[in-house]
Amino acid sequence: MSWPNTIVDVLKKYQVRHINFLPDAMGEKLLTLMRDDKDFDLLPLAREEEGVGVTCGQALGGKRGALLCPTSGIGNSLNALASLPIPYRIPVPMIIGFRGDLGEFNSTQVMMGQSLPEIFRSMRIPYFELKREDEVAVLTEGFLRLCYSTESPAALLISTQLAGWKE
Amino acid sequence: MMNMLEATQAVCRRLSDDVPVVASLGNPGLNLFNAQPGRQRNFYFRNAMGSASSLALGLATAAPEQRVVLLDGDGSLLMNLSSLASEGWRGPRNLVHICWDNRMYEMTGQQATATSGPADLAAIAEGAGFPKVERAETLAAFEAALERALAGDGPWFILAVVAGERAKRNPANPKSATGIRHRFMGELGA
Repeated sequence: MSWPNTIVDVLKKYQVRHINFLPDAMGEKLLTLMRDDKDFDLLPLAREEEGVGVTCGQALGGKRGALLCPTSGIGNSLNALASLPIPYRIPVPMIIGFRGDLGEFNSTQVMMGQSLPEIFRSMRIPYFELKREDEVAVLTEGFLRLCYSTESPAALLISTQLAGWKE
Repeated sequence: MMNMLEATQAVCRRLSDDVPVVASLGNPGLNLFNAQPGRQRNFYFRNAMGSASSLALGLATAAPEQRVVLLDGDGSLLMNLSSLASEGWRGPRNLVHICWDNRMYEMTGQQATATSGPADLAAIAEGAGFPKVERAETLAAFEAALERALAGDGPWFILAVVAGERAKRNPANPKSATGIRHRFMGELGA
């Protein structure tokens, strides 16, 4: 099974219904599977920072959501992450297309992409990088389990090694 | 001009105890607590400026049968204007977005916001696709708008023009972020 199907299956298993997103080429591979699936409710946003608040609101209402966006969008979301789900202890799973990494064609993506792992480390946000098909299921499931057990944000990075780079 | 505390008291009088209220940081939350200190279903922001409107959208999405009331401020909403577009697009019928507009960043020294100039948040909400937009400059007009919003489908946007006054800080104002979250979720049974 290809990685987008694997991720979608794990999201279903964990009843992550609300997908709050800004599109990118990697995310679209998931969105295209979820668009006509009644197990998902897609919420398009105009700025990724909205997705932090929206996912928190869904959690407060007893429902599971996730933020889906590329690395640049996490840059737009940092104070919201630092001052809402982290101190209030609210689970926010983030599924992130890794722009600015291996094979990146656009140099202006690189600073945010290369800085993000270090930013996550400094904020104590656990992150896991999907690089190989045979690791997708365990990393996706494990990142969700950790996110819910810690009631805090956690991140899953979809690498170009797995998903291919943008031409 | 309308006083934010009196208008918040009007909100608390009209809402049943089971309606969740989300309050943005600073004066909206301080006044919400002062208006009815015993009210339990309140979520208070202490930072994350701008995110209250997004959190309310998420809550309204997750609990479509539950009316959700948001007490926002002009400074907060200006920081997250894109949330209006997302609210308007999604169009949750159960959402009542109230924005106190005092035309200033009151808490930081009363510096002017763009609504002291030409910016008009009610017009922006209309442009973002809110089907129900109200503008209130007096307490009576605000209470009438609120009455309509609590009776009919939204999403509603109520711009309430209020005086630039500092809310009283009460030693009992909720301060613990986890405490606020636990109480709110416990109340909602989530």
